[in-house]
Amino acid sequence: MKWFVASLVASSFAITAFAEGENVSINPPADGSVSREDGLAAWQRIYEVTSHPRCSNCHVGADNIPMWSGPSYGKSRPHGMNVNAGDSRIGAEYVQCATCHAYRETSNDRPHAAPQVAMNWQLAPVEAEWFGKSMVDICNQLRDPARNGGRDFREIASHLDHDLILHWAWSPGGGREPAPYSLQEHVDDVLTWGVAGYPCANDE
Amino acid sequence: MRLLVNGEEREVNVEDDMPLLWVLRDELGLKGTKYGCGIAQCGACTVHMDGVAVRSCQVAAASAAGADVVTIEGLGSPDALHAVQEAWVEHQVAQCGYCQSGQIMQAASLLETNPKPTDDDIDIVMGGNLCRCGTYPRIRAAVKTAATKLQEA
Repeated sequence: MKWFVASLVASSFAITAFAEGENVSINPPADGSVSREDGLAAWQRIYEVTSHPRCSNCHVGADNIPMWSGPSYGKSRPHGMNVNAGDSRIGAEYVQCATCHAYRETSNDRPHAAPQVAMNWQLAPVEAEWFGKSMVDICNQLRDPARNGGRDFREIASHLDHDLILHWAWSPGGGREPAPYSLQEHVDDVLTWGVAGYPCANDE
Repeated sequence: MRLLVNGEEREVNVEDDMPLLWVLRDELGLKGTKYGCGIAQCGACTVHMDGVAVRSCQVAAASAAGADVVTIEGLGSPDALHAVQEAWVEHQVAQCGYCQSGQIMQAASLLETNPKPTDDDIDIVMGGNLCRCGTYPRIRAAVKTAATKLQEA
């Protein structure tokens, strides 16, 4: 009986601590089980995602101007329509992102139309500027709580689980190229990288 | 579904994902809002939803249910023009006129949030409203005149 209760408690703990994801499963590898080498390999794949146009186009700097870039555009250029999202990062000072990127329960698959999800469209915070930055720069940003929204790797995974704009990156529709891998694979890589101790290529 | 358009409750029987623009023009007969591109690239279909300028070709009807929708027909009336409409007449902004209801709705929204816009502010905000006749210099002047009218009102 004691064994039964103990295993029940253990399994409950496992469920609450390691699989709380709603849209993806969040199952980090065991502490100490990931080598630095494997952590860096996971980071390499994370960087392929963070530097992809579906993600980096809205991770722009203090000029608050989103980008249009990637295979379907041929070259990088600022977002059309003279768009400037302002310091609010939602366009409140000028034209709101939601003027075109309206709230929509289903996706907007029409080519060249504004991407839409069931939440308000916005730029990432300015401290999360990724566009055009190197793999080492983004690596150091993403492991720095001051620049990643105060998150550890589990909380980054949870953020990926809940933010519908991020989910859009893997199913953008309208002929756009999706971000590489899958949302689940990306979450798994973030967890692997975190358990490995957030290695970056510039570490000693 | 029930919509509030220009202060009136309207009942429409449409699919949830029908664009608001279709509802306004084809279901409610409000033809002042124009269809330009259908993909949020031109601004001709701009209306206000809960005070925010939106491209009505991109808004699903279900998203507009419960919101306060204002179209060009509800912004002012021939007897009581909105300050932006007055300024548009004074500056004779319109040429062919097709884009102008969208321009006016965007300009009215601009002045709600920024009562004294600079040239740069106007260019940024109005940059998503295209005019094939090239009335942009008059649009900029009319926005400034409207701003003065609203401040003096």
